[in-house]
Amino acid sequence: MSTSNLSDPGAAQSAPGQPTPRTYKRRSKRLKAWFPYLLVAPAVLYLMMITLYPGVYAIVQSFYAVKFGPWQPVGFDNYARLFNDYQFWGALWNTFVMGSIALTLQCVIALTLAFYAYRDPWVTGWRIIFLVPMLFMPSAVAFTYKLFFLDARVFADLLMRIGLIDGNIAFQSSIWMSRSILILADVWQWTPFLFIIFVAALQGQDEEVEEAARLDGASWYQIFWNISLPIMKPVIAVALILRGIDITTMFTNVFVITKGGPAFGTETISYFIYRTGFKFFDFGYASSASVIMLILTIIVAQFVVKRAFVSAKV
Amino acid sequence: MASVRRKRRGESLTLRYAILGAWALFCLMPVLWFLSIGLRPRTEIITPQPIYWPTFSLDAWHMIWEDWPMAKYLRNSVLAIIGSVLIDLVLAIPAAYSLSRYTYRGRDDIGFYILSTRMMAPAIVAIPIFFLFRNAGLLDSVWALMLIYAAINLSFVTWIIRSYMMDIPKELEDAARTDGAGDLRILWEIIIPAILPGIITASVIAMIFAINEFLFTLLIASTPDAYTMSVALANFTGGSDGLIYNAIALVAFLAFVPVFLVVVLIQKHLSRGLTMGAVKG
Repeated sequence: MSTSNLSDPGAAQSAPGQPTPRTYKRRSKRLKAWFPYLLVAPAVLYLMMITLYPGVYAIVQSFYAVKFGPWQPVGFDNYARLFNDYQFWGALWNTFVMGSIALTLQCVIALTLAFYAYRDPWVTGWRIIFLVPMLFMPSAVAFTYKLFFLDARVFADLLMRIGLIDGNIAFQSSIWMSRSILILADVWQWTPFLFIIFVAALQGQDEEVEEAARLDGASWYQIFWNISLPIMKPVIAVALILRGIDITTMFTNVFVITKGGPAFGTETISYFIYRTGFKFFDFGYASSASVIMLILTIIVAQFVVKRAFVSAKV
Repeated sequence: MASVRRKRRGESLTLRYAILGAWALFCLMPVLWFLSIGLRPRTEIITPQPIYWPTFSLDAWHMIWEDWPMAKYLRNSVLAIIGSVLIDLVLAIPAAYSLSRYTYRGRDDIGFYILSTRMMAPAIVAIPIFFLFRNAGLLDSVWALMLIYAAINLSFVTWIIRSYMMDIPKELEDAARTDGAGDLRILWEIIIPAILPGIITASVIAMIFAINEFLFTLLIASTPDAYTMSVALANFTGGSDGLIYNAIALVAFLAFVPVFLVVVLIQKHLSRGLTMGAVKG
């Protein structure tokens, strides 16, 4: 007698303890309810290992002085110190200033380029050319920018040759020049990201509406402002959120090109955490900075990301 | 009227190509500069007066293979990257299937949680992760990098695949279901083949991010046993002369070429992948 043969009427009268078709059905129904959770569980558990554990760890560690040897509980001392640390506030400010300038430039340039490229017969070619910077390893890009501006002074030399300046430029001693290099490197490498997305969005708009507007005598900027831009709004929002997140975590360029200098003028939050943690081994203090950042991240994610992705039901 | 319109179109055409051409130049000039550095001898790079017309040499090429364990770096990169993408696919495909095909309590919250891990700055989790791996005895190992890269890209990969799954008409599934196929068989035999472009796109993007990852690799890899190309670059130093820029540029170029070729093949899907499906590219 086979218990697995559910259509066998004899199975219903099987010995006690043997599953009847009814219990089978119930069990499979229960399994069905759990099935989607079962499918998503491995991914969620994996992510928790890499986010939840570190998050809790950072929160706990932020209440301790962790140098060499045992942890010393210090209560909120790390946070109080952070609050009074001009370097921490400076790092927040630098991240904000460099991030917003770079993001604005990228968005304006990418929109302009996308607008001119999407109707071009060679749009695929432009897309491939413009994509190139994004595909280089950021660390290598950072090194070549460092070489170009600082070590080999090619940029300064070129400016001297065309007579714009006489004498070398001291990039390393000017905060704004150092910031400009970081912004330029970011714009060079990541404008393609926005460009690719914007072109796709423009290509996706209804061509007939555009053509109708053109026949009605609308100029290109009227079409752009009144037709294309409103359609692209959600796309621009999503793209800016993603790019904005990456910019606020800027690390590689700072690590390679400026090391946060001069006078901490280009130190970002990520670099601040790295420096206090892995250079000064002040892990408890670095963790308190991480926790502040974590709270900011959660706030931003709740407000912006939930609206842009999850509820959009794309 | 007609002539005015033609004239206007002509004007904008010049402007269009001027702008696009200028940006193309701005994009490609540094790439030429990469190549030019990579193919010149070391003595020419940092000189008081920059040298603009290089004497070509394969110094850097010989150096990265002979003086540095380049083969090892390459092996580490390939192993960590391919391994991480495989882990991602195994975890992400069922998760995406669950998020796109079933309605259940807490689904949106789970989806949001997965997505929100993408928003986390690496620096926030860097210190705990460093200790986690140190306590697990996984510092300085390719396996640790594989696990990290997989975690970094998992949210991305899940959401890309989910967006492709949501485009598959329900009728296709219902037809299979009436034929008696179970959920897993439907996933394996109908959904996965149908979203193959999405899976490839997700894999390529995950691969690029893994190649580029710098901060975690810097913290976890401390000897050539685990260096990947991205961090090995930072260690190309030659004693008193400092960084060996021609080797850096050459390695960057070598890593660029395969990535570029793959991306050209999937460039149609790229915008959709980069926005995790929020834009139908």
